Amino acid sequence: MTAKKKPLLVTAIVLVLVITLVWIFWPGGDSGPVSSQTVTGVYSVRLSAENPKLGTNSLAIEVSDAAGKPATLDAVTVEPVMPQMGHAFAPVTAIADGPGRYRAAETSLPMSGQWEIDVTLRGPGGTNQAVFPLLVKN
Amino acid sequence: MMKLGAFLLCVFALAVAGAGPAHADSAPVGGDIQVAQTLGERELTVIIRRADPIPGPLRVDVITHTGSPPGTLELRSVVEGTVISQTSVILGAESGFYGGTLRVDRAGPWELDVDDGAEVATIPFVLPAKIATPWEKATYGGFIAAGFFLLVALVLAVRSRRTGLTLIPAGGMVAAIAVAVTAALLSASAPPPPAPGSVLDPTIDNVNNPYPNTQTSTMDLSRPPVNLFAQADNASSGQEGELKLRFTDGSTGRAVDDLLVHDNAFVHLLVVSPSGKLWHLHPIRVAPGDYRANITPPEPGTYAISAELSRRGGGVQLVRSSVQIASGSANDPTPEPAGLGARVVGGNSVELTADVAPTGSPTTITAHFDTADLQPWLGMLGHMIVIGPLDNPAAPVWAHVHSLAPAAPGMPAKPDETVAAFGPDVPFTYSFPLPGRYRVWIQAERDFSVVTIPTVIDIPAAGGPR
Repeated sequence: MTAKKKPLLVTAIVLVLVITLVWIFWPGGDSGPVSSQTVTGVYSVRLSAENPKLGTNSLAIEVSDAAGKPATLDAVTVEPVMPQMGHAFAPVTAIADGPGRYRAAETSLPMSGQWEIDVTLRGPGGTNQAVFPLLVKN
Repeated sequence: MMKLGAFLLCVFALAVAGAGPAHADSAPVGGDIQVAQTLGERELTVIIRRADPIPGPLRVDVITHTGSPPGTLELRSVVEGTVISQTSVILGAESGFYGGTLRVDRAGPWELDVDDGAEVATIPFVLPAKIATPWEKATYGGFIAAGFFLLVALVLAVRSRRTGLTLIPAGGMVAAIAVAVTAALLSASAPPPPAPGSVLDPTIDNVNNPYPNTQTSTMDLSRPPVNLFAQADNASSGQEGELKLRFTDGSTGRAVDDLLVHDNAFVHLLVVSPSGKLWHLHPIRVAPGDYRANITPPEPGTYAISAELSRRGGGVQLVRSSVQIASGSANDPTPEPAGLGARVVGGNSVELTADVAPTGSPTTITAHFDTADLQPWLGMLGHMIVIGPLDNPAAPVWAHVHSLAPAAPGMPAKPDETVAAFGPDVPFTYSFPLPGRYRVWIQAERDFSVVTIPTVIDIPAAGGPR
């Protein structure tokens, strides 16, 4: 064994160890984009949020009809609710953002914890409501 | 030397990769979910068995009670609003066990639809995921790293001319063992994260990884009280009618859709007719916050209603209300029941005895059946409903007392209704808070039939003559 090869081996071992320890201790389930889906009436609704956080959040809503095609609605509103505290907040109107896509860009979530986002869809078939749980971190 | 080093790295990588399914040897998660449902004219107990593995089959058993008509139930497993599988269960005329097998494909919040052709009961439930805790990962990882360091130290000790070099992996081994042992010792006292389903609203994400949920700013996870709106619009005496119950949040007015299974039901609904006939029903959930049950009122008048329920986050609540039943084809008041003593109810001979104490002290009422073949109903040997005092029209005392089934040694799980081995004595102890006459109903199950024994009891005031 030469003097050059030994540091190479030690470096490789250390590298493997560091990677392993990072893998073991990496905080699981880092937030980042979260999305969930449900069905209400004839609509299939998906709510997505990019890294839900304390303060102003941008929530994206995708709505498709029974045939799976993007649905066009008269109005889409988003009402944040903190169920543990019994707080409901004024609904935010989501703006159309492409076919079947709506965005509530200025949704205020003023405390961390578990929220429920009530999405109300007003369309030709009447009013439908979908509820999505959303976890907001500190 | 290089070859040996590469070999060691491979061994280490394989060992670490093998640590992934280490949680497979952890304890099984979840258990059976038992939910009583008053679906149409049937009183059913729906048992959702523990699903393992996921994806895999989900066994659903349906227990029918005496008088339940034969027919077909459609069962559907639903996730994210999409039906994943369905099956038919053919109910026979005889009371007992019927069942079907559904398929589930992921852990998370699910819904079981029970459809009798006329109405659909939607039962939300959570399929838990097997979770490797960070402590488990650290323990397994630490011991694997320690083994690896030991190998490196041995190889260096044999091959290297510089003995000092051996101390580096040896030190690493000590550190890795310290990490593993500390994690293993601390894991017992580490609090589990708030459970999705019973504490937090379940999502597919948080069921599969509950650890991020620990970062919440609220310590008190209980939720506001509910308001109840009870309606019986189309009901008149002598006609089967539907009771509609709407539960809304006491702080936001939104539909309450987070009821937990408490004593084997989402809602324990008690209905008492003006002359004192009792129904103990378990309304079906047809939509968020919208529960339904059918009754055939025998007489017109004001029917008292109470609902016992528990919301996510904890705490059992009792909400009371009343409905008006219009005069219809029947007017058949229930006669005042007999006091203590022997009687025959539905073919069962029962003797009621009581050790009556004045107000504030415990009174024990015992129902003695002639044989020890009672079945647990809603997880309990017996239920006693107490309403009174009868001279107060508001009936301030409205109690639901349980008689506990004795624990079987070595059987931590509660027996289900198929175990007919309890009794013959069903004792209840309750401290009546006010003096006066009370209406009492004792309920127990025998031969898949719920026996309701009505009676009255007089409670003296404390300090007065006994």
